[in-house]
Amino acid sequence: MSFESSPPASPTTRINILQGQARVSAGPRVEFSTVLGSCVATCLFDPEIQVGGMNHFLLAEPPPNTHSGDFDEHYGVYLMELLINEMLAHGAAKSRMRAHLYGGANLNSSFARIGTKNAEFARTFLASERITVVREDLGGMNARRVDFRPARGQVRCRTVENTLAPEPKPTLRPAISRGDVELF
Amino acid sequence: MKASLPMDKTTRILTVDDSASMRALLNHALTSQGFDVAQAEDGEVALEWLALNEVDVVITDINMPRLDGFGLIEKLRQGNRHRDRPILVLTTESSEEKKARARQAGATGWIVKPFDPEKLVAAVRRVSH
Repeated sequence: MSFESSPPASPTTRINILQGQARVSAGPRVEFSTVLGSCVATCLFDPEIQVGGMNHFLLAEPPPNTHSGDFDEHYGVYLMELLINEMLAHGAAKSRMRAHLYGGANLNSSFARIGTKNAEFARTFLASERITVVREDLGGMNARRVDFRPARGQVRCRTVENTLAPEPKPTLRPAISRGDVELF
Repeated sequence: MKASLPMDKTTRILTVDDSASMRALLNHALTSQGFDVAQAEDGEVALEWLALNEVDVVITDINMPRLDGFGLIEKLRQGNRHRDRPILVLTTESSEEKKARARQAGATGWIVKPFDPEKLVAAVRRVSH
């Protein structure tokens, strides 16, 4: 039996990205992780300045006073914009950003293919923003675990047991996000 | 019958936002209420457009490349043509510090995304009269 120790591994800071969150980092040892069922995770990377970010969302149906679509598109655009703005704040340029998309599975037929709708929203959004999707692993019936090294743009996506995926809780607008207007 | 306010002339709005998706949401929300909408993708494009065109209300994002919303408001307030133009800020920023900065630059109002189409339209009608 050998007690020879392996070379000391550089410590990795793992950050779990929960539903509704968006995080950006240039930290060389940072790894963002998330487990996705119907939810979609967007990973953005700017190769020139080695900065990356990840969000994790599942869109809700629109509020009753809106008249558009199957889900709350306003809130979806807002969640994507939060990630993009955080990337810009770290010095990234939209024209250099490259995207990965993961998730959007339909784990259970009773969820009205909500995973598919979320995946389609993410694809459409990135296309209209002219952000190139370099890799995607969307749809199917299996949960996924995604590990993303934001400073390198490296992603590992694996299929995991569906029981590991959090229950789908459509992202509702926070109570504070009512679009209230304050006139000065 | 659909109730609508009688308008002597169509209210003209310039929206300034770098997100094409957000521009599409704004365009739909405003044109469906009868407003005349022009759109710019950043502060520089907005300034060029405003040098040649008339408008009643400007709705601008804050985080944009080239010239951001703060810079756009400051430049419009420095000139003569748009010194008194109503400018509504529409942003993902929720900090009091950013809001105070917008107010100091000369913004007319502050709206945090995601916007509510009815509240946005009501605000536009209020500041344009």
